[in-house]
Amino acid sequence: MKKFVILADGTCDLSEAFQTQYDVRVLPGHITLPDKTEIPAFLKWEIYTKDGFYADLKKDPNGFTTAPPNTAEFANAMEEIVRDGTELLVMTISGGISGAYQFAYTARKQVLEKYPAAKICCVDSLRFGPGFGLMAIWAAKLRDEGKSMEEVAAWLEENKNRFHQAGWLDDLSFVAKKGRLTNAKAFFGTLAGVKPIGEFDYNGLTTVIGKAKGAKQAYEVLLSYIEQTGEKLSEQIVFIAQTNRLPQAEKFRDLIRERFHPKEIYINDVFPSCGINIGPGLMAAYYMGKPISRDLSEEKAIIEQALSKG
Amino acid sequence: MAIKRINGVQLEQMLRNGLANLRLQEAEINQLNVFPVPDGDTGTNLRMTLEHGLQSARSSTNAGEYLNSLSAGMLLGARGNSGVILSQFFYGFAQELAKDSLIGPGELRSGLIRGYRTAYEAVIRPVEGTVLTVAREGIEHIRGQITRSSGIDVILSMYIAEMHKSLAQTPELLAVLKESGVVDSGAAGFILIFEGMLKQLRGEQLESAEALPAAPAAPEGPDLSLFDENSAFVDGYCMEFILQLMNQKGYDRRFRLQDYIRALERLGESIVCVQNEKRVKVHIHTKKPAIIIQYSQKYGEFLTFKLENMQLQHNERDRSLRTEKPKPLAVVAVVNGFGMRKLFESLGADFVIDGGATMNTSSQEFVEAIEGLNADAVAILPNHKNVIPAAEQAASLISGKRVAVIPTKSFAEGYFSIAMDIPDSTDTENRLNQLRRGREDVITLSETTASRDFSWHELTCRKGEEIALRNGELCCVGTDWRSVVVDALALIEDIDDKETCVVFRGLNVPEADEEALAETLAERFPLLELSFVDGGQEIYHWVLGVL
Repeated sequence: MKKFVILADGTCDLSEAFQTQYDVRVLPGHITLPDKTEIPAFLKWEIYTKDGFYADLKKDPNGFTTAPPNTAEFANAMEEIVRDGTELLVMTISGGISGAYQFAYTARKQVLEKYPAAKICCVDSLRFGPGFGLMAIWAAKLRDEGKSMEEVAAWLEENKNRFHQAGWLDDLSFVAKKGRLTNAKAFFGTLAGVKPIGEFDYNGLTTVIGKAKGAKQAYEVLLSYIEQTGEKLSEQIVFIAQTNRLPQAEKFRDLIRERFHPKEIYINDVFPSCGINIGPGLMAAYYMGKPISRDLSEEKAIIEQALSKG
Repeated sequence: MAIKRINGVQLEQMLRNGLANLRLQEAEINQLNVFPVPDGDTGTNLRMTLEHGLQSARSSTNAGEYLNSLSAGMLLGARGNSGVILSQFFYGFAQELAKDSLIGPGELRSGLIRGYRTAYEAVIRPVEGTVLTVAREGIEHIRGQITRSSGIDVILSMYIAEMHKSLAQTPELLAVLKESGVVDSGAAGFILIFEGMLKQLRGEQLESAEALPAAPAAPEGPDLSLFDENSAFVDGYCMEFILQLMNQKGYDRRFRLQDYIRALERLGESIVCVQNEKRVKVHIHTKKPAIIIQYSQKYGEFLTFKLENMQLQHNERDRSLRTEKPKPLAVVAVVNGFGMRKLFESLGADFVIDGGATMNTSSQEFVEAIEGLNADAVAILPNHKNVIPAAEQAASLISGKRVAVIPTKSFAEGYFSIAMDIPDSTDTENRLNQLRRGREDVITLSETTASRDFSWHELTCRKGEEIALRNGELCCVGTDWRSVVVDALALIEDIDDKETCVVFRGLNVPEADEEALAETLAERFPLLELSFVDGGQEIYHWVLGVL
């Protein structure tokens, strides 16, 4: 069977190494810098160092903006791939926080008018950053196992709600400001010393499902959360994302490794496409597990239980 | 295929669909109006403005011609602040496209740009965080992405997406929105119009305006019983009119818009004033309508005139607030200082009482606060040990509402308590648990200058010396405030295991002192995560919460 192409938008935060290893192609969006110049989103620290970027972002949070690839860009990228009959699976960042899926879907319609025989599937990942990237890797692995594009797309639709985020976002001002958090109004202000714990809700928005007092308590609660929501972690790749929280992420990685022995575990950077919208305070693990409940009530109960133990 | 060009007839259909889309959500947009600025109903005003334009416009396949007659109708039919701005937007749009019979991507881009610029110019003091911002950012953020081959539908969908982003940020730009927890209503309505236009373009035609169920039309009129001889009158009138400038003898023919606006500025606020040839449309909030009428009549006569008692609307809004669904749990906090108030409010406190320097809040104050809150349960953060009894007494006096006193003994305990709250959760038990957990294990250090000689256990201080209290008890004395703070921290037995220290800077303490303290603490306790808050509390120069 002819291998199909997986194309993810640039918010998947897969480094070049992962892109090559799993053969995932990336279509970057756009970033506007404080001086109003626009550059393509990047997944490699070249024009900025990571620390430099997050320092600038902290200084001028409103100066940076992001935009997904537009319909024409999606259409061009799609056309390039399907022209010779190659099948294409397009994955996009959560439609709850971006228009990318809409653009991809519209582009698909345009391309199909021109190439009626082309096969293109669009999947809204309902995730962002490394959570989305991890899903793309699962898709690539299923492709390697010989699954067809339709089968992989169906699997993603069926299972995307099982990709978890267990971590904290200790600077909620960014997410709230950019409208990428549920009930954002409740989360302005500084939260020194308190770690809000975020999980994806059913619509792909990050939701605060609990708060821990201090990092120590937060690690304990998170490990307990992963234990109860994760499945077969020893057979999985676990991603740990961090915007500008490397030491904390390293500690979290060690704790997870020690307790769950995942098959592979990596610390991933969050690149500007997502970083601009999430700010410097993200530190979270991404893994596959039990389906997330519709109102997050089960997940909230797990956190509450863990907190009351501590 | 992408739609590359539209003519006047298509544009008219799109706008009609925009109107239909707006009508569908008119009531919701009205609800977004920010209390306590009692300024009518944005959704209705926008709808009526657009409706008037569509009704009076002459259909034409020529887009420029159609827009011209549409915008003339909108200018005259504009209602309210938002309506005036909308009409100005379309006026600019029409001006830009006056000579274009078809609208392509380039024309659309220029029109949207000219539209928002014209709208800005029409407003005396443009306020960011309103439809102005949204219309500006909507196009400015995507203009670089528009090419000659962009489809009209693609441009509109990018425009709308960008406006939604901008809309979500309006509360950040406009404090009054943030306080009310809403986005700007005018901007939200503006977006609805464009969404309706895009739907039409994509073939999704909404039922025509006539066929729609009776739109939530303008309210039948205020309940006049809400204003009587004993009412306070502080909000004034909302006044709107179109003035026809006259050439006849007896009228001053030297009307100059800038001078006229300057005169109005002395008589009221929220002024929007636009001139279209010999007609001037005015919106103003004032307590002195007679003077404005008299002054305006020097130049001409009124074509239309509207005067509304805003106090009446305000009172009505108050009443409707009372009929809203109660919150499951509201939080009342006692603070001292402006910064502290802001902090607690930003963290979700529903009612903040300033206890003054001495933190002597009465039970009565608590009872009033609790009764005024539309909530099933109320949690109180007294934030001082002397306030806890009054709070508990108030709790025992209240019936019909559950009141929980979280015994926070200091601002620092109160901070950690409310920072742990999850204000949007509907699970009251969980929230109360979080509030209680928050205050546990917090060590509070307070630094100030001794106001008299004092002895406590083995410690003695003289009036004028610097002292630190730990959880309310004297723990350090010295001559230099900085060393006293450092010593007090160092005295905490397991200070090396502590993670976090939040420092509240007091009233009249210079910012430079904060920098100095930050530097000293970072050097002395490198593992401690430090955060500074401009607390503005009296008495204590510094309050530290250590965890």
